[in-house]
Amino acid sequence: MESSKLLKNGKPRGKLTKKDITKMGLISSIEQASFSFERMQAPGFTLSMLPAAEKIFGDSKEDMSEFMTYNMEFINTEPHMATFLMGLILSMEEHGEDRKLIEGIRNGLFGPFAGLGDAIFWFTVLPISAAICCSLAQDGSVLGPILYIAIWFVAAISRIWFGTFGYKLGVKAVSTISESTKYITKAAGILGVMVVGGLIPSYISLSFSESLKFGMGEGTTVQSVFDGILPNMLPLAIVFFIYWLFKKKNANVLVIILGIIVFGIIMSFLGWM
Amino acid sequence: MEITLIQGLLLFLVGFICALDAGLEVLYWFRPMVVAFFAGIALGDVSLGVACGAVAELSYLGLLTVGGTVPPDPLMAGMMTLVIAYTTGQSAETALGLSLPFALLAQWVGIFFNTVYVGIAHKCDQYAAEGNVNKFSKLVLSGWFFKAIVTGILVFLCSYALQGPIQTFVNTFPAWLVHGFEIAGGILPAVGLGLLLMVSLNKENAPYLFLGFIMATFLNLPNVLPIAVVGVCLAYINYMHEKKTDEASAKITVNDFGGEEDGI
Repeated sequence: MESSKLLKNGKPRGKLTKKDITKMGLISSIEQASFSFERMQAPGFTLSMLPAAEKIFGDSKEDMSEFMTYNMEFINTEPHMATFLMGLILSMEEHGEDRKLIEGIRNGLFGPFAGLGDAIFWFTVLPISAAICCSLAQDGSVLGPILYIAIWFVAAISRIWFGTFGYKLGVKAVSTISESTKYITKAAGILGVMVVGGLIPSYISLSFSESLKFGMGEGTTVQSVFDGILPNMLPLAIVFFIYWLFKKKNANVLVIILGIIVFGIIMSFLGWM
Repeated sequence: MEITLIQGLLLFLVGFICALDAGLEVLYWFRPMVVAFFAGIALGDVSLGVACGAVAELSYLGLLTVGGTVPPDPLMAGMMTLVIAYTTGQSAETALGLSLPFALLAQWVGIFFNTVYVGIAHKCDQYAAEGNVNKFSKLVLSGWFFKAIVTGILVFLCSYALQGPIQTFVNTFPAWLVHGFEIAGGILPAVGLGLLLMVSLNKENAPYLFLGFIMATFLNLPNVLPIAVVGVCLAYINYMHEKKTDEASAKITVNDFGGEEDGI
């Protein structure tokens, strides 16, 4: 039974310790190094696992070469949670699972992990941390950036935890993860969207000039009419307009940014804002 | 104010260090908030750096690197918003609008590297086939390092070397044009938020967007933290509810730990 789990040079597989996995988590910081359009994160993803892989494979060049080759295939996932996949792969390699199976799991899971990680880090942690730190920073307080750095430092450390988690769960992880991914993504979506709603009034300033009035002289200002319907309705409207342009019209970011600048200049020239 | 050579070199250092992080996205030092803070320290005007970082950060919120796309560069945006505000004396909002060409320049450099580095990946294939860990590691790390050096040099050129032309150019602007950029700077965060919504908003969670908006509009909150806390609560309630419905519909026999109270 043990013979099937021997390395290709006939030697037994090396064992990993908790320390090796922690080390992998730290090294995984370079997961996006030498990113390219063709393989995306493959070089950094492979490199992150190499020290641990060397321990498993010892001097078996053939195993190392196979391991590196299948990991050099295209991969693009969320960097914080990539370690989960690495832990999983290393645990399976350590137990001598079939490489075709490991490869299949690697290629099948990085997509869902990208979705999950983006939902957590890009769409939830980033808006919230940016919002809180910006409200501190707008008063000129250095606490803003310092808190921001601290939050993301903790987030960076989480990669060690994700790695250990993936390693411990091993193959069992696959079903557990695909089940809870759905719930977590949804919960993160609710939180993220709600925070975005909360950011609109404070961070977008769009209002008509006090001097822009309906009629001559004593007329009501245009802005007061909008405020009477719903305060901050212009910032809300512009967000939805831009969202609509992206979603339905497939608009280019650059075109929209330039459009906003042109709009600002025209409004300023007319004296409306 | 003028950027001295020493300050220019410090900006190179800030650009280089933050670009090392931009290549990895580990510490998030490539975000405008942090870049402008460090650059503010280098220029000796920390509060301006903090203010510029805050303005630029929000505009670049939704500009994701998700899926391998390269958006206008947040590092350069944070850096140049500060540099332009510092050298020309304009407000952070105006400087943000003017920093766009530089963010685009850095974006193109990023696209260039992501294309050329396909070559590195192919060389990596060869080392992988040989099982050559040493050469593989060195190549991947040098690719990362080289890109950061180039970004640092780009920062130095855009800030120290170009400060004269930028100043002259901006100073010829009439007041209405400057104010136009200011208006644009106030609207630009909507791009970041719109992009965030594009990937996260759907029919099911749309009510939460309005909830957040109404809270922020009418409750006079000091910051967005209370909204985030309420958001966590609602997300958790929704999670429990959904799990229950899913379990019920899947007709999974759940062990009854007294979950079914008779209400007596």
